[in-house]
Amino acid sequence: MRNNSIRTVGFAVAIILLLLIANMTVPKTVLSMDQHTWSDQEKAILGSLWIGSLGSLPVDPSNKYSDNPKAAAFGRKLFFEDHFSGNMKVSCATCHREDYSFTDNLPLSHGMDTTPRRSMPLAGVAYNSWFFWDGRTDSLWSQALGPIESKLEHGISRTMSAYIISKYYREEYESLFGPIPEITEDKWPQEARPAQDDPNALKAWVLMTPEQRESVNRIYVNMGKSIAAFVRTIVPQPSPFDRYVEQVQAADTTNPRMALTNDEVAGLRLFIGKAKCTNCHNGPMFTNSDFHNLGLPQNKKAAPDEGRSTAITQVLSSEFNCLGKYSDAHPNECSELRFIDTSDKKYVGAFKTPTLRGVTDRAPYMHAGQFATVREVLEFYRSQAQNPELGHGDLTDKELNQLEAFLHALSSPITSLQADVK
Amino acid sequence: MKRILLVIIASISLLMGCAAQNEPMTGHNEEMTEGHGHGDAKITQHFDDSLTKLTDNNLYSLELVIPNKNMMMGVNTVEIIVHHATGGDVAQGELMVTPWMPGMGHGVMEKPVITERGGGLYSVDNVIFSMTGHWQLQVKISKDGKEDSTVFDFPEVKAMGHEHSMMKAPPPEDLDYSTMKMTAGDAFTVMYKSTSGRIRINRIHSWELTVKDADGQPVNNAKITVVGDMPEHGHGLPTQPEVAKIGSDGLYRVDGMKFTMPGWWVVTVSIMVNGVHDSVSFNLNLL
Repeated sequence: MRNNSIRTVGFAVAIILLLLIANMTVPKTVLSMDQHTWSDQEKAILGSLWIGSLGSLPVDPSNKYSDNPKAAAFGRKLFFEDHFSGNMKVSCATCHREDYSFTDNLPLSHGMDTTPRRSMPLAGVAYNSWFFWDGRTDSLWSQALGPIESKLEHGISRTMSAYIISKYYREEYESLFGPIPEITEDKWPQEARPAQDDPNALKAWVLMTPEQRESVNRIYVNMGKSIAAFVRTIVPQPSPFDRYVEQVQAADTTNPRMALTNDEVAGLRLFIGKAKCTNCHNGPMFTNSDFHNLGLPQNKKAAPDEGRSTAITQVLSSEFNCLGKYSDAHPNECSELRFIDTSDKKYVGAFKTPTLRGVTDRAPYMHAGQFATVREVLEFYRSQAQNPELGHGDLTDKELNQLEAFLHALSSPITSLQADVK
Repeated sequence: MKRILLVIIASISLLMGCAAQNEPMTGHNEEMTEGHGHGDAKITQHFDDSLTKLTDNNLYSLELVIPNKNMMMGVNTVEIIVHHATGGDVAQGELMVTPWMPGMGHGVMEKPVITERGGGLYSVDNVIFSMTGHWQLQVKISKDGKEDSTVFDFPEVKAMGHEHSMMKAPPPEDLDYSTMKMTAGDAFTVMYKSTSGRIRINRIHSWELTVKDADGQPVNNAKITVVGDMPEHGHGLPTQPEVAKIGSDGLYRVDGMKFTMPGWWVVTVSIMVNGVHDSVSFNLNLL
């Protein structure tokens, strides 16, 4: 009996020991289960960030060619065409490099000269309400026209652009938009444009007949609409984050091959929780398309960049806006322009929230390339803890690492839906 | 209604009190100010809880009465009683009142509406504070070519119904998210709905408002203002919504609503009709 009881006790002890050992391994599985467990509210937020909630390309009512494959194929050629520049070397693709997420790796972009801002990434750009860092245009086609006449970027005029179209792209253009009026170099001045920065070009523009100006504007606008038809097809592919959301939504969280590492998941939890990144980086493109002044370091050598503040009158007065005569939209379809916040003083130094999709593939960062690495950006946000708009919680170094890991999980290949159209 | 009563009381007390100058009476204090060679400049005060100030050059004494006790985000009404600093009320003075946000360096587009009530009393309607935070009221007075001004300071203007909310504080747990509410002064009931169903962030959409009076009768031809604010962040909508009447059932359409952040938003609807002015704040929690 005694032996038996000893044996029983020994057996019990052995079982307890076994349980203890088992217990020591239990926390690991419990932890990984917990890590992939999200509340209903959190799942809804994950769903709102998921690429699947992006939907098809939004209609641009101001551009009736926006979903025309022929216009997109034409626009693709124009995008890579370096004839549209003062030195025959600059195309849209100079600063929006196909091999660099359709942006470039410079703090300040360089066309004919150095510009005051960084080139914007193009993947998913069609989902924006406003274009450029300051939103000074309200459509992709009017955005595409801005750099061509900028001295620092392409450095040519709209009359020169019309001339190049008539000389090199006549057939393609006319099959889409109808006949080009007769353009000869001696009849139309090459460097004529409604310029505020070049009195000679402005004078040449004013001396043209209204019909000539109208013809040039039409060709110029159709160029922009074609380029936009191409650029809007550049979209991001699903990232590891998107695959993770699908796993979570399918309750497939015991899968040994989760799409995100533990650090990335921890970063995601911070991103939508404590660090409050989704305050501005929300929706499937990780941006609210709004304008914010973050108090970034300024370039002391240059004049202060007023950002959105000066862009408000620019977009309202643009002949190429949604309410203008070159827009194909009904005025009721121009909601962003109609309800634009005209409080210019509120937007001094404010710039658009950029998308975070593919963010780690396209250093440097911020509107003037102020930061060389994502880490520097995160450090900057942490230093702004007292700013009510930027309060990201008191983040530890470890948490900053996790956030950085998560941002890497937003990378994905970029494709053009029209790439195969010839 | 409260306001109209106040105007009447104020007018009576002014007519009685100020006609008989220098005659001390209850609730009517006259303080001498110190220094600067303006020993004769004095502040005249009729109400215990009003704000008083001498203008910068000691020409006028101003008494600011806030019928709702506190200035709030949204549309406010105040009464300003103007006296000469040497005594005597200022009738037919030219008053200019400007809401200003010193930290942001901006004011608001809508101008306050000033009506002289007599006896140095001016009521100032449509004083809009478009967001929470530090606001000022710049008051300029001109009478017989003598101009002077001063600034009333409101360091912490809050959203209505959240007198104790702090910047960055999470929304109170028991926040009322109802879409139909009485206005603060019980003058109207207001109901809102989004015309496109669930409100999603970053989408311009429209609201439909139904406004009824205390007897449940539709209120038509009201002047309605809609402002949105995020109490946790201290900023408003990225758009400027427009309000238009639809039909005659107290229905109004608000176009151009847009919310750019998830979280707690406060949308304040202010209604002004036939001299009655009241407002209500709706809470929204957006995903």
